Amino acid sequence: MSEFNPNILAFCCNWCSYAGADLAGVNRLQMPPNVNVVRVMCSASVKPEYVFKALSQGIDGVLVLGCHIGDCHYLTGNHRTAKRIPLAARILEKVGIDPKRVRLDWVSAAEGEKFQHVVTEFVEDIRKLGPNPMREVRF
Amino acid sequence: MPVSYVLTTCPYCGTGCNFFLQVADGRVVGVVPCKTDETSKGRLCIKGYNAHAFVNHPDRLTHPMMRKGDQLTEATWDEAMGKIVSELKRIASVHGTDSIMVLASAKCTNEENYLFQKLARAAIGTNNIDHCARLCHASTVAGLLQSFGSGAMTNTIPEFEDADCVLVTGSNTLEAHPLIGARILKAMEKGAKVVVVDPRDTPLSRVATMSLRQESGTDIAWINGMINVIISEGLHDKEFVDTRTTGFEELREIAKKYTPEKVEEITGIPKDDIVKAARIYASAEKAMIAYAMGITQHSNGTSLVRALANLAMVTGNVGKESTGVNPLRGQCNVQGACDAGALPNLYPGYQNVEDGEAKAKFEKAWGEALQPKKGMTLTCAFNQALTGDIKAMLIFGENPMMSDPDTGHVEAAISKLEFMAVVDIFPTETAKLADVVLPAACYAEKDGTFTATDRAIRAVRKAADPPGDARPDWQIACDLGRMFGSRGFEFESPEQIMAEMAAVAPIYGGVDYERIEREMVRWPCPTKDHPGTKVLHIGSFKMGRGVFAPVEHTPPAEETSEDFPFILTTGRNLFHFHTGTMTRRSAKLQREAPDPYVEINPDDARSLGISDDASVRVSTRRGEITLSARVTPWIRPGTIFIPFHYVEAAANRLTNNALDPIAQIPEFKVCAASVEKA
Amino acid sequence: MRLAFDEKGADYLLATREEHGNVAPVLLRKGEDPGAIRVDVPYQMAMILTKVNKHVKDGKIAVVARKCDERAIAELVKRDLLDPNRLALIGLACTAEQVRECRCTDPCPSTVDIGECAEPSTEDAPVAGVLGMSLDDRFDFWIDQFRKCNKCFGCTLNCPVCFCDECLLEDKTFTPEKGIPPGLAFHLIRTIHMADKCVECGECERSCPADIPLLSLRKMVNRDMKELFGYVSGDPERRSPLLTTLDGDPMEDDMHAC
Repeated sequence: MSEFNPNILAFCCNWCSYAGADLAGVNRLQMPPNVNVVRVMCSASVKPEYVFKALSQGIDGVLVLGCHIGDCHYLTGNHRTAKRIPLAARILEKVGIDPKRVRLDWVSAAEGEKFQHVVTEFVEDIRKLGPNPMREVRF
Repeated sequence: MPVSYVLTTCPYCGTGCNFFLQVADGRVVGVVPCKTDETSKGRLCIKGYNAHAFVNHPDRLTHPMMRKGDQLTEATWDEAMGKIVSELKRIASVHGTDSIMVLASAKCTNEENYLFQKLARAAIGTNNIDHCARLCHASTVAGLLQSFGSGAMTNTIPEFEDADCVLVTGSNTLEAHPLIGARILKAMEKGAKVVVVDPRDTPLSRVATMSLRQESGTDIAWINGMINVIISEGLHDKEFVDTRTTGFEELREIAKKYTPEKVEEITGIPKDDIVKAARIYASAEKAMIAYAMGITQHSNGTSLVRALANLAMVTGNVGKESTGVNPLRGQCNVQGACDAGALPNLYPGYQNVEDGEAKAKFEKAWGEALQPKKGMTLTCAFNQALTGDIKAMLIFGENPMMSDPDTGHVEAAISKLEFMAVVDIFPTETAKLADVVLPAACYAEKDGTFTATDRAIRAVRKAADPPGDARPDWQIACDLGRMFGSRGFEFESPEQIMAEMAAVAPIYGGVDYERIEREMVRWPCPTKDHPGTKVLHIGSFKMGRGVFAPVEHTPPAEETSEDFPFILTTGRNLFHFHTGTMTRRSAKLQREAPDPYVEINPDDARSLGISDDASVRVSTRRGEITLSARVTPWIRPGTIFIPFHYVEAAANRLTNNALDPIAQIPEFKVCAASVEKA
Repeated sequence: MRLAFDEKGADYLLATREEHGNVAPVLLRKGEDPGAIRVDVPYQMAMILTKVNKHVKDGKIAVVARKCDERAIAELVKRDLLDPNRLALIGLACTAEQVRECRCTDPCPSTVDIGECAEPSTEDAPVAGVLGMSLDDRFDFWIDQFRKCNKCFGCTLNCPVCFCDECLLEDKTFTPEKGIPPGLAFHLIRTIHMADKCVECGECERSCPADIPLLSLRKMVNRDMKELFGYVSGDPERRSPLLTTLDGDPMEDDMHAC
C-alpha cells in the first residue's frame, strides 16, 4: 500500500500562530511535508467559504490556528473564528465529510513546540482518515 | 399600484414555463415563479429567473432607422415603413414577387407569425416565408409528417415523469430544456431507466442509467442497430406493427444489416451496450423518446427523425400515455410559428400550399389570389441571394448573421441584396447590415400567445410599455399590410387575430382567449367544446397507418481529413440562449458564462500543447475564429464543441451549409475543423 | 380580508388570489376589489414582501403570513431590512397536511387570524434517514443529489432570508466551476450563510427542479445551531450568535453581512 501523504492547508494568523510557526522553524523542529501555510492577519478572516472551497477541491485537511481567546490583536476577532469554524465542521459532517478534517486551535507566538505538535498530530489524524473522498468525485 | 404581478410565458426555450413578471412603477423588475403552473410547477431555470433582465437594457432599439451611406440614422415610422413598402413594390415589379423573401420569427407570438405569413402571401404575393425552424426542427416537421401524419411532439411534458424508460438523444436536456430535464430526473427517481445517446458527456448522461457515446453523424446506425436487436430477439410489438403500420418488411431487411458488431464499427458504441439499451427500451411498458438538435441538424436529418419514428413504432410506443417521439423545440414559439404557417410549403394549420382545396379556402378567407407553388426555404434563400434570384428580404425578429451556417456565405448573400429590412428589439449583427431597421416590442410589452413544444397554447401578457417609439410586431405587420394595399389587416387586438387564425386552421379551431384564460389547451383543438389533445395518434395515425422508412446510415457531408482532423459540433449552453442578443445583456447570465470557448478532450489538448484557458484558433474551410480552450473529458477525443452564443467568436463562421434534401436543414452538428494554439 | 384594512390599519394587503386560472401574488390597495383571495397555495409571502417592500414608499403593508413567514420577517427586522412599524401580519395557520409535508415543528402563528392551528410534527423521516446513514453512505447520497443541480439559483431567489444584493455564490473565487453542476462548495456556502437565518419554510426544496432534499439539510444544520449556540432562527429578540462575541456582546459587524 503506497504511503498516503495528506495535502494540508494551514491558515495561521500573523500575530500569534504564524509567529509560532516561525519559531518552530527557527528552532529546526521537525515538520511533516505537504503542509501549506497561508498567513492571514487574523483567524477571523478565514471565512468558512475558504474551508469549504479547499475541501470541495480535494484538500485533505484544513487547519485554522489563531490567538488564544483574550489575546487577539483585534480583540474579538478570534471569537468569530471560534463560532464559525466548528459550525463549518458540523456542516461538513452533515454531507458526509469527516468533521475531523477541519481543526481549530490556538497557538501563541511563543509556542513553537505547540505549533509543531498540533501540525504533526493533525497530519497523522488525516493520514488515518485517508484521502478526501472529494478527490474521486467527478461531477 | 406600486407593484403588480403579470402572468406570462418565458421568452427562452420551448418548454413554455409560465411565471409572474414583477412590475414596479411601470417597469419590469423581476420574476416570481408561478406555483400553480402545470408545466413548471413553481420552478424555473436560471434563464427564466432572469427573463426580465434584458427588457430595460439601454441597447433596446427605440426608433426606426434608415441607412444613409454607411450609417443608420433615425427616421420616422412613416418614412421607414414607407421605404420598406416602396422598395419591395419596386423590386417586385422589376423581378417578380418571388424575388422577395420574408423571415418570420420563432420569438414572436402566434398572432404575429400568422400576420407575417399573411403579409407575405396575401399582401406581397409570395410563398417565400420561412423562419428559424428551418435551422432546428425542419427535419422533425418533415420527417414526422411522413411517418405519422403530424410533425409535432406526440405526447406532453408532464408525461415524462410516468415513463418507465426515457431514451434521450441529441438533447442536452438539463442545459437546453432544464424543466423538461427535471421531469426526466423525477422519472428516474420513480424507477425509470434513462438511456442517453450523445457524443458528449452531458449533465443528464452523467446521472443516467446508461450513457452511450457515439461518433457524431452515425445515429441511423445505432438506431437501426437497436431495431435489429429488438426484431431478432422478438421484442417488437407484433400487434401494433401488423395493425397500425406499413413497410415493416423493408425495415426488417434493412435492420438485418445493422448487427451490433457492425454498429460498433460505425458508431464506436460497444456492441454489448447496444444490445442492453435496445432491451431496456423495448421491454419497458411505456417508453418515451426525447430528442433535439443532435438528431435534426444533419444533412440526413429527415431520415434520422424517421429512424426514431421507426424505433417507436416497432415497439408500439406511439399513441399511449408516456410514450411517443418527442422533439424538444428550441424557441419559445417555434412550434407556434410553424402552426401559424410561417413555412414556404404550408398554410396555417399545416395545410399544403400546393393543395387546390386549401388554396381556394385561403383565397376566400383572405380575399386575395395566392401563389400556387410552394416558396423558398430560408437556407435556400441565402443561396439564391448569391445567384441573384432573391433581391430583397424583410426579416422579423431573426438574426441569420449569427444563427445561419457559414456566416461568410450569409454576409456575402446579404451584401448582394438590393434591399433588406429588419424588425428587432436589439441592434443585432443582421440589423447592423440592414437598409431599414424598425424597433419592436419584446414579449413583456405585448399580448399574444406562444405555443410550447408539447402543443400547449400559452398566454403572453403585456406587463409594461415598449421603450421609446418601439411597437409590437403585430401592429407593424398590420400597417405594412395596409400600406401594400391589402384589406386583410384591420385588426385592433391580438385576440382578433387569433380569432381569424382559429377560423382557418382547424387544429386551432377551438382556441380563443377566454379558454386560455381558464385552462391549458393543447392542439388539435378543433372546436370550442373540444377539450384539446394530450396524446397524438391514439388508435390511428392521421393517414391511417404509420409509415416505416427504410433508412440507411450515410456519412456526414464533410468528413475529417488531414488538414481538418477534428469533428466540430456546435450547440448550446445553459446560461445563454441562441444568438445571445438577450442573455448576453443579462448581467447574471453573462457573469456565469462570460466568454466564448471550445471544448477539447485532454488527450487532444495534450498532443497539441494546449492548456486550459489557452487561446486557440479553430478553422474550417469556411473561416476561422479565436477563443479559449476548455479542456474537459466530457467531449470525445477527435471531436470539439463550440456553443453558438458568442458574437465575438461566432461558431457559425465555421459551420457547413450542407442541407438535408427534404427539410433543407443545415448540418450544424458535423463539419471538419483544425485546432491550433493562437 | 377586510380585517387587514379596517382592523390593522393597513394601506396595502399582500396576499394571493386567483388570476387567469392560476394563483398569483397580489398587492392590493385599500379600497380595491380583492377578487377571489386564496390561502391554500403556499407562496413564501415573506420573500415576496422583501421584493415588494422597496417599491412601496410609504404606507403600511398587511401581509398574510404563516409562522415561517413570521419568523423570516423577524430575522429581517433584526437586521433592519424591514421596518416593523410599517408591517401588519395576518396570521395564517398551516393545514395538517402542510405541516406534515414540511415536518414543521412550529406551525402556529403568534396570532391566528385565518384557519386553525394544526399539531406540530414530531417525527422527520427524511432527516432521520440521512442522519442514520454512515458517513460514507451519507457522502455518496449527497453527491448523487448535488450532481443534479443545474444552478437555477431558485433556492436563493425564493428564500425569504437570503438578502444579499451581491451573492457570494456568483463569485468565481468560490464557485469556479464552468458549466454545471456547481461544486460542493456552492451548497456548503449556502448552508452556512443560512445557518443563523433559516426558518425551515421549505421553499428551497420546493423550488428545486432536481428535487434535492435541501430542507433536510437545513433542518440538520438548524439542530447544530441549537446544540452549539442554543439558537433557533426566527427569534425576534435574540441577535444571531454568529454576530455576537463569546461573551454575548454584539460584534461590530454589519448586520447585513453573512
